[in-house]
Amino acid sequence: MIKSTRRQFLRGAAGTTMALPFLESVARAEPLTPQKRMAIYYVPMGVVRKGFFPGEEATVLPKFQGATTPAIGIERPVAIQDFENLTPTQSPLESLKHKVNFISGLDRTYKQGTDVHAQCGSCFLSSATLNSVTESAYPLDRTFDHIIADSIGRETPFSTLTLSCNSHKNNKESIYFDNISWYGTNHVTPSIRDVRQAYQRLFGTNKKGDLRDITDLVLDDAKELQRSLNRTDKNKFEEYFEGIRSLELQIERLEAMRTEIESANVALPTDSLLPRGEYIRTMGDLMVAAFQTGLTNVATLMIGPERWDTPYRFESLFDKPMSHHQMTHNPHKFVDQLLQIDKFYMEQYAYITQKMDSVIESDGSTLLDNTVFTYGSGLGDGTTHQYNDLPILIAGGANLGLAQGKHIHVADETPLANLFLTQAQAFGMKVDSFADSSSTITGLTA
Amino acid sequence: MINPGNALADGEFDIVKFLQRNCLDCHQGKEAAANYDFTKLQTKKDLIASPELLFEIRHAVSTSQMPPDEASELSSETRVQATQAIGHLLHHAIANGPAAGPAAIRRMTRFQYSNSVRDLLGLKVSVFSLPEQVAREYGNYYQPETGKIPDVVKVGNRALGKSQLIEPRLEGITPYPQDLRAEHGYDNQADQLSLSPILLEQFLELSQSIVNSSSFNAKTVGIWNDVFAAPETGDIETAIRDRLRPILQQAFRTKISEATLRRYSDYAASFIQEGTDFTTAMKATVGGILASPRFFYIQERPGDQFSLASRLSFFLWGSIPDLALIEAASKGALADPAILSSHVDRLLLDRRSKRFCDSFPSQWLQLETLISSEPDPNLFKQFYFLRYNGSMHMMIEPLLLFEAVLVEDKSILQFIQSDFSYRSVMLKTWYAQADKIQHTGPGAVDFQRVPITDMREGGLITNAAIMTMTSAPNHTKPISRGAWFATTMLHAPPKPPPADVPPIDRKANASDESLTIREQLATHRDSVNCAGCHKKIDPFGFALENYNPVGQWRDVYPNGRQVDSSGVLYNQHSFDDIVGLKKALLKEKVRFATGFTQHLMSFALGRKVTYHDTIAIEEIVQRTAADDFRLKAIIKNLVLSDAFIQPKRATTTASLDSSKDPS
Repeated sequence: MIKSTRRQFLRGAAGTTMALPFLESVARAEPLTPQKRMAIYYVPMGVVRKGFFPGEEATVLPKFQGATTPAIGIERPVAIQDFENLTPTQSPLESLKHKVNFISGLDRTYKQGTDVHAQCGSCFLSSATLNSVTESAYPLDRTFDHIIADSIGRETPFSTLTLSCNSHKNNKESIYFDNISWYGTNHVTPSIRDVRQAYQRLFGTNKKGDLRDITDLVLDDAKELQRSLNRTDKNKFEEYFEGIRSLELQIERLEAMRTEIESANVALPTDSLLPRGEYIRTMGDLMVAAFQTGLTNVATLMIGPERWDTPYRFESLFDKPMSHHQMTHNPHKFVDQLLQIDKFYMEQYAYITQKMDSVIESDGSTLLDNTVFTYGSGLGDGTTHQYNDLPILIAGGANLGLAQGKHIHVADETPLANLFLTQAQAFGMKVDSFADSSSTITGLTA
Repeated sequence: MINPGNALADGEFDIVKFLQRNCLDCHQGKEAAANYDFTKLQTKKDLIASPELLFEIRHAVSTSQMPPDEASELSSETRVQATQAIGHLLHHAIANGPAAGPAAIRRMTRFQYSNSVRDLLGLKVSVFSLPEQVAREYGNYYQPETGKIPDVVKVGNRALGKSQLIEPRLEGITPYPQDLRAEHGYDNQADQLSLSPILLEQFLELSQSIVNSSSFNAKTVGIWNDVFAAPETGDIETAIRDRLRPILQQAFRTKISEATLRRYSDYAASFIQEGTDFTTAMKATVGGILASPRFFYIQERPGDQFSLASRLSFFLWGSIPDLALIEAASKGALADPAILSSHVDRLLLDRRSKRFCDSFPSQWLQLETLISSEPDPNLFKQFYFLRYNGSMHMMIEPLLLFEAVLVEDKSILQFIQSDFSYRSVMLKTWYAQADKIQHTGPGAVDFQRVPITDMREGGLITNAAIMTMTSAPNHTKPISRGAWFATTMLHAPPKPPPADVPPIDRKANASDESLTIREQLATHRDSVNCAGCHKKIDPFGFALENYNPVGQWRDVYPNGRQVDSSGVLYNQHSFDDIVGLKKALLKEKVRFATGFTQHLMSFALGRKVTYHDTIAIEEIVQRTAADDFRLKAIIKNLVLSDAFIQPKRATTTASLDSSKDPS
């Protein structure tokens, strides 16, 4: 008994309906209120504190320190004040400072047993409570971007967008140095490093619908395989069903949005290999375009991998390739170059923030007003490798009730997770804890 | 020489007293050194209950790292006794404890997927080019059945010469991205290989693009006539079933149920019902097989022979089993060690064993690091030529030595010191420090087998590749070199520095150019906090100080100071220079062989090697010692070990304990 299409045929042959939910076509009505979005701009290797933290301009440069003992920082009272006098590194934000908050004093807890760089990056968005994760040496659990996407990313073709500006050709470091987004412990969300690939995924016109015959066929194989698995393997193999499920959703939704995507008129990047600044800005452009067209509401951008000693060409800054990481180990010699890099990365953040602010939404607000866009690094200083006093900026989010233009200094030992908890609540999630959070951040939500 | 595998009875030796007397001072309470608290180890029973700790203690005691010199003066006899007593308890603990569980289910790496597709379909061209497969072979020089690598071979470097990626392959294929290496070494480790929606999508598209490629035809596909060409006579449905059965069995590496066969044959038939031609219908169906998780995932089923066959072929061919292995598995023949052993021989003598040479040694030696080494062009101008550089040649040298040791069935001690090496003209002039370095390439380059008589050259450790990739652009990095040595040569990677180490006061040291690097780094070895680990790794790095940042011999530093490369191995073997270290390492060959076997086992099993595997490792080392650790013998004994065979028995479900020991 053979039916006219394989899809119908397979459903019939299986004798039952498919176990996976196939969504009805998701027709997107024009939203009355703009979507809420969340984005992360992750800066590797920390910053030079004296250029970043107000009040530390005159302090001496720290000495190299390979471990993560709570280290340098200026004692200052817990306070909320206007974010006015920008430090040299923050200066590219001048025209945006009324929409940016600076939060100083946030810490992460280092868990012994893994590399400081690997952990500061891979666990930046998770910060699991020490010892709550047993299957990995990393205190790594489902990361914040996915937690948020579980709430605001349920109806977009892509629940999250994971980008990275890592152009290194060698395979020098492990996945923990190159990924901030994780579905869960030991389950990485691989980032797209190639701008043209990122474009193709979001705006390309390949006919993914063709894959559906195949997913139907292999799904029965997957079930047959699953039946033979032991408990641990069964858990791991869930990744396959999750993959098929989100692929199905993605195909349906992309089809429903075809016209919108085509009319967005996003250009294919001309080259995969771009100079560093253009590389970050192009990824930023794609991210903003993805928000604007509704392809996703959640994105992370890791602007470079942790450690990875290989030199980069910072085309506009130096005449030869330089290793950011190696320079952080010798600040006395390279402080000028390091400050230039910090500022350079801030310029790219300002560019993307500005771009978000120039997109006008259906209610007259800007895309930035509806986006919480966090700048952050997992190290408080690249030289000391400290996990305390992390450099954190939050842009946008006015329509989510976020304060604007404030410098908030939090009490000692306030976990970074408090920031994410505060954001989660601003996104309307009914949660009272996230990872190792202790509370929310007073003053961030108006 | 201490035999770490000797499970002698502990006799009268009181190991508990030994530990309390020699270790407790530092290792007790909350402030216990390195977080090892021995307070609760009051009886042998307590020790047996802590096999991981026993494993660590035995290593530290037998290598004379613990107790440290300052704390005690142990006679070597006591050390041997203590090592044996601990070994005895460890064996007891392992034999009576749970076995290491099998590696978790995982998807194939893209290297494995590409090989598997090629073998399943008998493809005569590549599926896609893999830069991770560094050496590109020319002229089919790799003929393992001859037992010899020719004296002159032609090789290109895919990772560094982009033109070397252009080869006959299917058109219109988009591969999924290269797999990053695992935290503990290889890219095939089960706990690191996960699937995400984006990867699944890329993988599904890849599988379809293979059968839909414009160059997927009778010329490129070896099994075309048997599978894709329309049958001339007979019932179509029968033909479909007969053709799909063997290919499904090989692809899924298991007995094929009637339901599975029906699913795929009905799928093919549904196309034909629609009026599609036979070839297209079969292409679509085989496209389904290539997209199936039962092809794409590797699953370990203890006691199952298909699973064993698959483990063996992925180990030595980076691919699915061939029909002969599948047939042996389906008959249950692999339970016979002689038959299993003959398959190991067969696989090693097959040209597909080149894939083992293309994946294991480059990852073992971390050669990828060399891709991005950029020696200072002002200091090392001759390193560069055109848009290319000397790394292109350097990376190939250790890989060819590895191939020769495998194919010619030599001892792995050749990796410490070999009496030959393969060098291009560039490398010959490079090591000779000729005034004019003769560059060739970037295409295929001739490498010639040259005799090595000077122990400062030869083996793997002192290759220009290793020396260059462990250096900064303008100076050597003894700590990096030492860490590389400990990790690769001894399978004893340094642990990350603990969080409670105070910063080093380097004073003016680091910038005082009249000092040698050894003097600059002296402070951290003098610091009690750092010395514990750095004493283990730094001596290896200092021993290599005679090699400059691009791997050429030097007696003096640029500042005019004499290089001091002396040191002591395991507190027992003093050496004056690298030649002395190599000789000392040859004396400690059991240790080297143990470390090598651990690396190989991790690669073969797709998981981290743990204390559970101690007995298996020791047996492999013992069985191959008499013949000086020939590589093929190590491979064969590894395959014949229970750790590899994985007979069906009660195992704990905690299959991977990598999280407990993050080293």
